[in-house]
Amino acid sequence: MRIATRWTTGTAVTTEPTSRDASSDSHGFSRRRLIASAAAAGGSGVVGAVAGFGVGRSGAGGRAEAAPSRDLRGANGPITEPFYAPHQSGVETPPQAHAHFLALTLKPGINVAEVVRWLRLLTADAAALTQGSGPLADSEPELAHDPARLTVTFGFGRGIVKLAGQKSVPTWLGPLEKFPIDALDPDLCTGDLLLQICGDDPLTLAHARRMLWKDSRTFAEVAWQKDGFRRSYGSKAEGKTQRNLFGQLDGTANPGSGSEDFARIIWGQGTGRDDAVYSARGEPPDNLGAHLPEWMRGGTTLVLRDIAMNLDTWDRADRPAREFATGRTLDQGAPLSGTDEFDAPDFTAVDKRGLTKISAASHVARARDGLGPEIQIHRRTFNYETGAGEEAGLLFASFQADIDRQYLPIQRRLAEVDLLNEWTTPIGSTVWAIPPGIKEGEYIGQSLFEG
Amino acid sequence: MRKNTTLMATMSVAFMIGLSACNQSQASEPEEASSSQVSVDSLSLDNAWVKAADDGMTAVFGELKNNSDKDINLVAAKYDDADQVQLHETLEDNSGGMSMQEKKGGFAIPAGQSLSLKPGGDHIMVMGLAKPIKPGEEISLELVTADQQSFPVTAIAKDYSGAQENYAPGEADGEGDGADHDDMDHKDMDHGDADRDEMDHGDSGDH
Repeated sequence: MRIATRWTTGTAVTTEPTSRDASSDSHGFSRRRLIASAAAAGGSGVVGAVAGFGVGRSGAGGRAEAAPSRDLRGANGPITEPFYAPHQSGVETPPQAHAHFLALTLKPGINVAEVVRWLRLLTADAAALTQGSGPLADSEPELAHDPARLTVTFGFGRGIVKLAGQKSVPTWLGPLEKFPIDALDPDLCTGDLLLQICGDDPLTLAHARRMLWKDSRTFAEVAWQKDGFRRSYGSKAEGKTQRNLFGQLDGTANPGSGSEDFARIIWGQGTGRDDAVYSARGEPPDNLGAHLPEWMRGGTTLVLRDIAMNLDTWDRADRPAREFATGRTLDQGAPLSGTDEFDAPDFTAVDKRGLTKISAASHVARARDGLGPEIQIHRRTFNYETGAGEEAGLLFASFQADIDRQYLPIQRRLAEVDLLNEWTTPIGSTVWAIPPGIKEGEYIGQSLFEG
Repeated sequence: MRKNTTLMATMSVAFMIGLSACNQSQASEPEEASSSQVSVDSLSLDNAWVKAADDGMTAVFGELKNNSDKDINLVAAKYDDADQVQLHETLEDNSGGMSMQEKKGGFAIPAGQSLSLKPGGDHIMVMGLAKPIKPGEEISLELVTADQQSFPVTAIAKDYSGAQENYAPGEADGEGDGADHDDMDHKDMDHGDADRDEMDHGDSGDH
């Protein structure tokens, strides 16, 4: 029961149920019903998820009962995420505190046999490191011993897929169309292989990157690399939406790990379960991944956007202007038509003056108003700030089964009008094929090179 | 982790053990060679890896494991694409560095125990490479015991900068028979910087 184990992480069913309780339920499912049906669906593992929900929603009064206490046992150090699994970890995995995005470009003349050797090395490294042991020839194996949910996720760019034959290359695997808002740095828009290295411990992460690099430098050069962060492990309850450097809750509309929504929207295939619960957006198609080439079955796609955020000009915007631009409150992250983060935005609600509470030009309206249930993505974002007065932004990792049907409709609309564009500038953009997970003895990409 | 032996190699080992009338119960009946029992080799090299090298010398590491109930004495190793293979030990020299020298009598691995072959310690020294061992490549070696049993093992090549021990004074420099003790001649076989530059793979011309 892979689904059940997902649940033990304690994340929400889907992070955006329609409404808070049955009494205020005007459309779709209530949260209570959602929890009840999920509990019935998933067995004992779900208890954790429900408990998490309870804690998360109980408000300040409930939390005050337990005095804050530090974890003095290193509880998170030994925690591992699976490596050998139908899907690669680091996609559905609840986001860790830190991420290294390392994009690599093949050295000239590297052939298929060499790429396979490289991928075998990296696979063995990732398999060992994520499970808390030093890989072969690790000079500092002690640095691998506290994995703290380390994951290594492989993404393939056009250049590496092409080596397996032109017919293996999907049409969408290449640069996105140009958007008027873009100010792309060509150096941030390249790469043949992406390693998304995530974990809750930055020392473990640094070591993992070093090992992966040592086994890469024969075959490839660094195209670009970026480090990102979220809340530290332990600062916030699992499943709580993170904040970006603008102070906004970021990722409210994400489908929850283990949900039917996630299976359909990201892995592109329904699970067939008959008790599926969907978000207020409605039921997404169960075949969004049908277009993916055979070698990608069990995989997904990643659009990685490096979005610079201008903190200086954002400082000039006062709270009402900030909330107007986003269409959500800054404290709760609630849509301006509601009171709770997970209230579904009501784009028709009007204030006393007869104006819509959520501006049609706001980010939330542009990103979802009028878009059908298939037009959803999973954003797994990490913040970055290189120093005081230096670069700040968001590494916007968007996972979806079909870039053309899911990502682009949103991106086009945001590029056309989004008040938030005033303060944000995409400076990097790459598209990656995320190959499926593997069984022990296989290597990541085997379905591509030996499929 | 990669398994160090292929299924074919494992089976042939078990078959060979059967033929040589090893007293190990699992292997005493040849027909069992095709069953799951074949996974029990008398001698294995687990987590085996070799330092990638374009030429000159390199070394093989791993966990040398005696899975039998008899002591095993490893006396030699064979690698087709090298002039010579030796079993080495590493000792602290008087200058704070490490020196390696051929292990007299080979490696003794007591029944059921393991010997760790690692940089800065015991290792299998490969000298006079006939062709490069490139990162990610899997090489095959034969381990030979004192009672002339031979065990095929494989090792994965890793880009590795360590394992730069020097030869102890008076030790063989690899190419020859050990008769040449001239310090000047150590240079080309030394694990020093000159050799490391070649290991860096900075030149991608051969790709």
